[in-house]
Amino acid sequence: MPVVTLYLDRLQRLVGKTSKEKIISILPFLGLDIEEQTDEYVRVEYSPNRPDYATDFGIATGLQGLLGIKKGLVKLEIKKGPYQLKADQYVKKVRPYVTAIVAKNGTLDDETIRQLITLQEDLHFGIGRNRKKSSIGIHDLDKIEFPLRYTTATKEHRFVPLGSESENSMSEILENTEAGQQYSRLLGKSESVPVILDAKGNTISFPPIINSALTTVSTSTKNLLVEVTATDKNTAEDTLAVVAATLQNAGFLLTSVQISGAGNTTPSLKTKKMSLGVDLANKTLGLKTSSAIISAALKKCRLDALPKKNNISCTIPRFRFDILGPMDLIEEVALGYGIENLKPTLPQSSAVGEKNIVTKQLDLLSKIMVGLGFTEVINSSLVSKNTQYGMTNRDSFGFLQVVESKSQEHTILRDMLLPSMLDTLSRNVHEQYPQKLFEIGTVFSAEDPIREELSLCCISAHKDANYSEIKSILQSALKTGFNIESQTNTSTHFCFAKGKTADVVANNSKVGMIGEIDSAIVENFKIRMPVVAFEIKLSGLIFN
Amino acid sequence: MSQVLHPIEKKIINALKETEKLGIEELEQKTDLSADQVRRGIEWLKLKGLADVIESQETTHKLSSAGDEVLKSGLPERKLANLLKEEPKSFDEAKQSLSESDFHAAIANAKRNDWIQIEKDDSGNTKISLKVQDPQPSAEEKVLKEINQASFDQNALYHDKSQHEKLVGYFRLKKLGLIEEIVKKSKTILLTEKAKDIDTSQVDLEEIDVVAAVPVTFVARTHPLKEVISEIREIFTSLGFTEMLGNFTQPSFWNFDALFTPQDHPAREMQDTFYIKDSVAEKVASPVQIRQVAKSHKLGWNYNWNIEEAKKMVLRTHTTCVTIKYLADKKPDEARIFSLGRVFRNEKVSYKHLAEFNQVEGIVVGKDVTLRDLMGLQQEFYRKINLPKVKFWPTFFPYTEPSLQSMVYNERLGKWVELFGMGIFRPEVTKPLGITKPVLAWGGGIERIAMLKYGLDDVREFYNNNLGWLRTAIQCQ
Repeated sequence: MPVVTLYLDRLQRLVGKTSKEKIISILPFLGLDIEEQTDEYVRVEYSPNRPDYATDFGIATGLQGLLGIKKGLVKLEIKKGPYQLKADQYVKKVRPYVTAIVAKNGTLDDETIRQLITLQEDLHFGIGRNRKKSSIGIHDLDKIEFPLRYTTATKEHRFVPLGSESENSMSEILENTEAGQQYSRLLGKSESVPVILDAKGNTISFPPIINSALTTVSTSTKNLLVEVTATDKNTAEDTLAVVAATLQNAGFLLTSVQISGAGNTTPSLKTKKMSLGVDLANKTLGLKTSSAIISAALKKCRLDALPKKNNISCTIPRFRFDILGPMDLIEEVALGYGIENLKPTLPQSSAVGEKNIVTKQLDLLSKIMVGLGFTEVINSSLVSKNTQYGMTNRDSFGFLQVVESKSQEHTILRDMLLPSMLDTLSRNVHEQYPQKLFEIGTVFSAEDPIREELSLCCISAHKDANYSEIKSILQSALKTGFNIESQTNTSTHFCFAKGKTADVVANNSKVGMIGEIDSAIVENFKIRMPVVAFEIKLSGLIFN
Repeated sequence: MSQVLHPIEKKIINALKETEKLGIEELEQKTDLSADQVRRGIEWLKLKGLADVIESQETTHKLSSAGDEVLKSGLPERKLANLLKEEPKSFDEAKQSLSESDFHAAIANAKRNDWIQIEKDDSGNTKISLKVQDPQPSAEEKVLKEINQASFDQNALYHDKSQHEKLVGYFRLKKLGLIEEIVKKSKTILLTEKAKDIDTSQVDLEEIDVVAAVPVTFVARTHPLKEVISEIREIFTSLGFTEMLGNFTQPSFWNFDALFTPQDHPAREMQDTFYIKDSVAEKVASPVQIRQVAKSHKLGWNYNWNIEEAKKMVLRTHTTCVTIKYLADKKPDEARIFSLGRVFRNEKVSYKHLAEFNQVEGIVVGKDVTLRDLMGLQQEFYRKINLPKVKFWPTFFPYTEPSLQSMVYNERLGKWVELFGMGIFRPEVTKPLGITKPVLAWGGGIERIAMLKYGLDDVREFYNNNLGWLRTAIQCQ
C-alpha cells in the first residue's frame, strides 16, 4: 500500500477552519491508516483505488467534506487553449494512446513538487501497472514550442534526458539509466521507440522511460504541461484526470490541449452520472433513512447528489474511476453518514455451526500424540531444497517448485514432513532431552492435478531412543485413536539406518515408514543423540 | 538418607526390635494394630527393604475320630490276639467274634506281625493260634498311642533310622484314615540389617530440603498457534458457521478471477503470489462460470480476459477461494460458512510478515443481511476472544464494497490494532457466479491475534519451533 507524508501546518491551511487534532482524528474515516505520527507530520497509507489521496491537496478535499467545511463535487474548470498535440500512425505499434492538459499560473514549492512526483510514481505503479498501461510526464510549459508531435524515433535518436547534462542515444538511455534498465522491456523488441517532439524538434519526452532535461520542473516553474501515454485510451484519461484534479486543487488553472491523430482525441474529463436506489442503500447498510440524508452523505464525500423520489441522481468526478456501480456509491454513503454512526447489530440466525470432520479427526489425533508425550511443532509447507533433499541424502526429482520466491528457505513444496522435523531437532540441540515432537501437516505430490495429503510425523531424540519405542508409539496412536492395527514390514528407506527401518502397513496397504535415523543423516543435522521417527499418510487412512 | 516412616511401620519395627521373629498374630498382639494394619505395614516395610518375610508351612497330626475309636477298642489284629489268648479258634469262630471287615484285616495284619499261625488239625479243620502268648505292641499301636502326646516327634520319624518301623506304622494308620494331617502356613517377619539401625524415635527429625530446586518437567502440548486456531474455530462454530476445507494449491481462477481481480493486477504478479512452476489446471470451473467471469472482467475492467492466465496454479493467497467456490457451486440463498487455513504470499519474511500464515474467513449469505450485521458479528467475535473494545474504519478490498476494517484496542500495547477486514461481495463477483443474495465476508490473519494473545512482537516465533519457547509459553492466556 502506498504511503504519503502529510505536513500538518500545510494540511491545516489547505483544509481551512479546523484543528490539527480534528484532522488527525478524521483521517482514518477517509480510509487512511496512520502509520507514523509526530508533532510536525503524519504518514498515512492510502488505498491504491484512491490515487487522488497521493497528495495533501486530494486529502484536504476529502477532509473538507467529512468535516462539513465544503461539500459536493469539485468541478474541473478547463479553459479552451491554443495547444495542440498530434499523434502519427507509427505509434500504433508501440504505445498507441496519448493525452495531455496544460495547468497555468500556479506556484510550486519544494513540498508540492515532492508530492507531485509521489503522485506520479503511485499512478505509474497502480493504474499504470508499472508504467505498462500508462505513464505520465510533467513538463515546464514555457520551454515548449507547440504544436507537439507524438511519434516514434530510432534508437539512434539523441537528446538530453532528465538528470543528465549531455545528449544520449535512445539505446544508451535504455542501457545506462536506471529507468531505462527497469522499463526497457515495456518497449519490446521494436526498432523504433515512442517520443514526443515539440515544434522546434526538441525531444520533450521518451515515454514510458524518461523526460527531457529541457522541460525539468523547478520551484520557479509557473505553467505545466502534463502528458500521458498509454496502451489503453480509457486508462490514459483516468490517469490524466487524477493529475488534473490535483493541480486544480493546488491552484493551477487548467487549459485544454487539442489531441488528434491515430485514433486519439481531446479528453473531455467529464463527470459521470449514476443513479442510486434509496432502498438498496438502506437495505445494504441496515438503515431506514431518507433520500435527503443519503444525498447529504454523498455530498460529504465530494460527490453531487440530487434526491428524486426513490432514487438519487449522482454526479461523479472523472478521477473517481473506482466507482463502478451502486455498491461503490453505498460505501460513499456509509462514509458520509459516518461509520461511527452505524451501530452494530447481531443478526438472528438458526444456523448450527460445525467443524469439518477432517478437522475433528486431526484435533483428536493431536490429543493422542500429546497424551503419548509428544509436543506439537509447525513447519512451513514451503521448504528449501537443501533441507528436503540435500541434508537427507535423497534424490531430488519431481518436486513442486514455486516461481521467483523471495526467500531461499521457501522454494519447494514439501512432499514429506520428516526433513523439517530433523531440521527442528537440529535447531534445538541446546535444549533439554528427551525431545519428542510431532507435526500434522499437508504434503504435496507432483501429480496432475497436484495431490495434497495430510501426514503425521513423529520423532523422538534422546540417549535411549530406539526402534521399539517409536513402533510402540505408532501402534498405540493408531489403535487408540482409530482402532487401526498397524504392522511393520522389513524394508529400506532413505534417511533411515539399514536394518532398522520398516514400511508401516495398515489396512493392507503401505502408509508410511518408521525406523532409526541413519547416523550419517543425524550428523548432517548436527544432532548428537539417537533419533527415531515415523511418518504416515493420514489421507486414506483415517479419512478419505 | 532420610527415611519417612508411617506410625504403623514404626510400631512394627519396635516390636521386632524386642523379638527377632514374629508371626502376624503375634505382631497384632504386640503392636495393638488390626490384622489389616499389620499386613499393610509389613508390605510397606518389605518394599522399602526394611523387613523380610519368611513364609513357612508346618504339618501336624492327630487321630481322626475313627482313630480315637480304635485307640479305645484296639486294632482288629489286637482284638484277634486277645480272642486267641484263651484257645485257638476256627475261622468261623473268629469270624463270629469279630466283624466281617475286621476279620480280614485282623488275619492279614496279625500274620504280617507274625503273631499267629494257621494250621489244619487232625480232623481237617483250620485252626488259628497265637505264636506267642502275649504279642508285643506293633508299630501301628505304638504310633496310635503316642501320636497325640506332645513328645511325639514327627521329624525323628522321618530322619531317625531306628524309627523306621514306626514310620511304616504311621503310613499304615494314615492309609486307614485313622490319622489326620493338619497343614498350617505361617509368616514370620524379620527386620533387615538396615531396619535394625533405624531409631524410630529420631526418624521424623531428619528433614528434607523442601525449598531446593528440582529438575524441570516439560509438559507435552499442542502448538500455541494451534490452540488459538482451535479457539477461533470454536467461536465460528458457536456463531453458527460451518467449516469448509479446500486445497492450498488453487487455479488462479478461484483465487483471483472469480473475485474480480483483473489479470494485470499487481497482486497477481509473481513478486506477490507464489506460482507453481509448470503447473496448469486442466479444468478450472464449469463453462458457464468461465463465460460469465470473462464477461464480468471485460465489462468492469475493459480488457480481454484470458483463460490461460486463469489456469495457472498458485498457492492460495487467501481462503476466500474456498468460500467463493462453495458459493458458486451451491448458490445458497442462506448460509453461514467459514474457511480456515494456510495462505501464502511471496513476501520477504520479517518480524511482521511471513510467506505462509493462517487466515480465517466467514461468509454470511442471506436476503436481508446488512453492513451493520457484519459489524455486529465482528463485535461478537472479538467479545468472545476477550477483545471488547472495537471500532470500525473504512478500507479497500478489491472484491468487497462497502469494505471496513476493525480496530481493536490492545491493553498490553496500549493502542488500537488493526485486525479483521470485512465487506459485502461486489456484484461484479457474485452476479457472474449466479449468487443472487447479498454475501457478507469477514476475516483476516490469525497470527496477529495469536501475537496479541502470547505477547509476541515477532510473528516468526510461531514457526521457529524453538523448544525453549514452545515448552514454556503459558497455555492459559
